[in-house]
Amino acid sequence: MKKNIKYALILLSICAISTAALALTNSITAPVIEVQEEENRLAALKAVSMGYEIGVQEDIVGDRSVTFVTDLKDGGQTVGYILGLKGAGYGGEMALVASYKPDGEILRVQLLSHNETPGLGKKAENAGYMAKYEGTGAGSEVPTNKNMLSASDAQAVSGSTVTFAAIGKALEAGSRYVNELGGK
Amino acid sequence: MNIKELTKGIFKENPVFIIVLGLCPTLGVSTQVSNAIGMSAGVFFVLLFSNIIISALRNFIPDSIHIPAYIVIIASLVTIIELFMHAFAPAVYAALGVYLPLIVVNCIILGRAEAFASSNTVIDSALDAIGMSIGFTLSLTLIALIREVLGAGTITLFPIGSFDGVLEVPWLIDNPFRVVALAPGALLLMGFLKAFFDWKAMRKVD
Repeated sequence: MKKNIKYALILLSICAISTAALALTNSITAPVIEVQEEENRLAALKAVSMGYEIGVQEDIVGDRSVTFVTDLKDGGQTVGYILGLKGAGYGGEMALVASYKPDGEILRVQLLSHNETPGLGKKAENAGYMAKYEGTGAGSEVPTNKNMLSASDAQAVSGSTVTFAAIGKALEAGSRYVNELGGK
Repeated sequence: MNIKELTKGIFKENPVFIIVLGLCPTLGVSTQVSNAIGMSAGVFFVLLFSNIIISALRNFIPDSIHIPAYIVIIASLVTIIELFMHAFAPAVYAALGVYLPLIVVNCIILGRAEAFASSNTVIDSALDAIGMSIGFTLSLTLIALIREVLGAGTITLFPIGSFDGVLEVPWLIDNPFRVVALAPGALLLMGFLKAFFDWKAMRKVD
């Protein structure tokens, strides 16, 4: 009995010291990480804005795919929207930002955060990966299936079809969402 | 202090090919050379600190609770390194992604704590950690190099200045053996390399 209490106290002291070390580390790194994430988000918004003016951001709660929406303006006129999107990738939730024309056509896409496998799904970070989605959504369907791609694009997503389909589905949902906004 | 503790990890007791520890990260991250190097750096820091701390506490931690105590120490170290990388080396953090938290369950770290640090001095444990990390780095980089060159026709290093970090191998870039880059390729290659190292070890005995 006495031994058990001693062991418990030893384990407790190890846990307490570890927790203190973690709390200290977190207090140093948390503000730096927050600044970085905000910068990344703004850079991503700018990258998909096609040079148009970015409007006020409105957070969306309760939608399966859309997390926020903001309009793109050119001289006071709405020329499109930027949506924050989420999709279920191979390694959990992925966050994207994408810009759309008012008719639902995808202009530009950027990946914000994800946990995809390096060498496979993580390739979605590469420049040019999103080109297979861009321009679809209005005249042509957003690709969500390997059969909807050209042979070379299909080979590029080989080994990471879950990631590819998840991005496609999130973008397709975004396209529908923009259509429902009806250019207002 | 025994310098043998440092050198044994490189060939004689190579953690991947001889002791066969830490196979999940070995097979998982070895798709690109840059991932292998980043993973090795993470393992190096965690292994060095965990070996030092566990060795320093070896007379304080009772035998019957050593596993939970080690896991708490290792998990805390991994989280600390993850937070620091996220804040101050975001590029490396982004490149390693999900593999960084997985260092917690890397058998090399618990294995060395259990087999070495728990019964040796702090200095010997630190040398053991450095040697094992070098052995892990060399093995992982070797597998990644073979897989990336054959499977994708590229060698991905870290971008410096105008160099974007990707070297292309002529011919293979257009005709890669894609299976080598996928999971079955990792297992096949691991088997061949293990056989090769076993053959080398056997020849030495004769």
